[in-house]
Amino acid sequence: MSEIHQLSIRELRSAVDDREVTVAEVTRSFLERIERQDERIRAFLTVDHEGALARAKELDRELARGEGKERLLAGIPLGIKDNIVTRGIRTTCGSRILENYLSPYDATVIRRLREEGAVLLGKTNCDEFAMGSSTENSAYFPTRNPWDLKRVPGGSSGGSAAAVAAREAPGALGSDTGGSIRQPAAFCGVVGLKPTYGRVSRYGLVAFASSLDQIGPMGNSVYDVALVLQALAGRDPKDSTSADQPVDDYLEGLGAGIKGLRVGVPREWFGSGLQEVVRASVEGAVGKLKDLGCSVREVTLPHTKYAISTYYIIAPAEASSNLARYDGVKYGYRSRHGDLEEMFNRTRSEGFGEEVKRRIMIGTYVLSSGYYDAYYLKASRVRTLLRKDYLEAFREVDVIAGPTTPSLPFLIGEKTGDPLEMYLTDVYTVTASLAGIPGLVLPCGFSPERLPVGVQLLAPHFEEARLLRVGHALEEALAMECVPPDRFEV
Amino acid sequence: MKIEEVEEIARLSRLQFDGEELERFVPRFESILKFFAELEEVATGEVEPTYHALEAGTELATPTREDEVEPSLTVEEALSNAPDSAEGHFRVPPVIE
Repeated sequence: MSEIHQLSIRELRSAVDDREVTVAEVTRSFLERIERQDERIRAFLTVDHEGALARAKELDRELARGEGKERLLAGIPLGIKDNIVTRGIRTTCGSRILENYLSPYDATVIRRLREEGAVLLGKTNCDEFAMGSSTENSAYFPTRNPWDLKRVPGGSSGGSAAAVAAREAPGALGSDTGGSIRQPAAFCGVVGLKPTYGRVSRYGLVAFASSLDQIGPMGNSVYDVALVLQALAGRDPKDSTSADQPVDDYLEGLGAGIKGLRVGVPREWFGSGLQEVVRASVEGAVGKLKDLGCSVREVTLPHTKYAISTYYIIAPAEASSNLARYDGVKYGYRSRHGDLEEMFNRTRSEGFGEEVKRRIMIGTYVLSSGYYDAYYLKASRVRTLLRKDYLEAFREVDVIAGPTTPSLPFLIGEKTGDPLEMYLTDVYTVTASLAGIPGLVLPCGFSPERLPVGVQLLAPHFEEARLLRVGHALEEALAMECVPPDRFEV
Repeated sequence: MKIEEVEEIARLSRLQFDGEELERFVPRFESILKFFAELEEVATGEVEPTYHALEAGTELATPTREDEVEPSLTVEEALSNAPDSAEGHFRVPPVIE
């Protein structure tokens, strides 16, 4: 047998099932791995060593009694993005303002993971309040890309992606508002899924942009991601935006093949901004889909050009409202100076980082009287057009395939000087968020210096099963050996 | 963009910037807003705005439920993260002289 940390969730699941390993052994193996190497990668903000081992032993006792074998994730350790609240483990959101926040309740996804037998290893680093594309906006430290420690892992779920790539966790939860699962998955060479808006409960996900935020799984294979999604998906009375839609069996049809499926390639996504090596890898993946019996045709998403503006008006507008709750009264940091008004101002100014303040300012501006119509209302109308682009494309094709990011993972510090340049890296991911459709990213190639490239697959609302089936077939056809160099021993 | 205008947005946002921060902030803020001007090119005359990613006006987008009381956080739990509290309440700096 391979070393424990090299196994996929699927393999770990059956090893635990067959009693080849105990849950405690599995958990200890990942905890040791974190201890040995995370000082260099810095994927985790908080590691719950004791809690994870205690839960693992408890699961072992239950399994020994013959209980809980049917649980979807029995004995599987997972990393959790630090903007998802966990009872007993602090939740910082990558922000100083929540440095010591201990949630009195679990997010619904956490409750479901616990019920399905998962073990929480700890909380992974992210851009502050999930605002960023590189994890450099974490108030604590940047996470490094396991493929090249000088480069960013992407963001905002960069900690989750790096943890999975470096085998510090076999899987992790991320959240995606404009690409925050998909882009780091591409940069770190892992699989990441942003479900349809409403497929997974947002209860206990610290709100950034409520009409866009969605929690999703990250892992080292499409099967693993499908399995975790199965545990997460479904209506939650605690989140009125979670959809009352039947949940498909995501594993059943995975191997069914994709012959005859119609694949669309958006013309607008292969323009001048796309790095050559990314284009070549993605085209290679599309070629594989053709080999698998799919028909490929060009589709058009004519409003793509306006996606960044639309997103960076709507998301900050919602954020400016959501982040009003950080006032130093109910939880989090409080500045000890001045009267009430002064306390509010100082608490927020001292507690938030630069990018979060910028987005609150943008959001307040585009919602303020005199500018509302020109910015927020206008962007909300363009959002309708962006959504229609997809609905029309999906009349002709079953899935859309394209790049996830315009470039390979960039260097730490490369884009921090110019926020707009950072925003532009989200061009291929924000449209699916604005439309609410699901998106799956999986590794499809490497640059000559062995940096991973991820292909993005998109499907209509609630068609995760189709998306995963295509991803699974493509993954098998590509047969990528996607393990970053193991050179992190401190 | 005038400094006073930026300061007004900061006031509405309950944020304050010192002089140096403001100097760095304003040009970046301006260039982002300038970038947004591209949306003026898009003809959106009769287009309805989208505020929800799922089909507007359907039960999926705006579900309703019975208003039933369910167990929730205890007062102690709700106050457990408060920077200051007393007698089962959040406590804030004095607001009346």
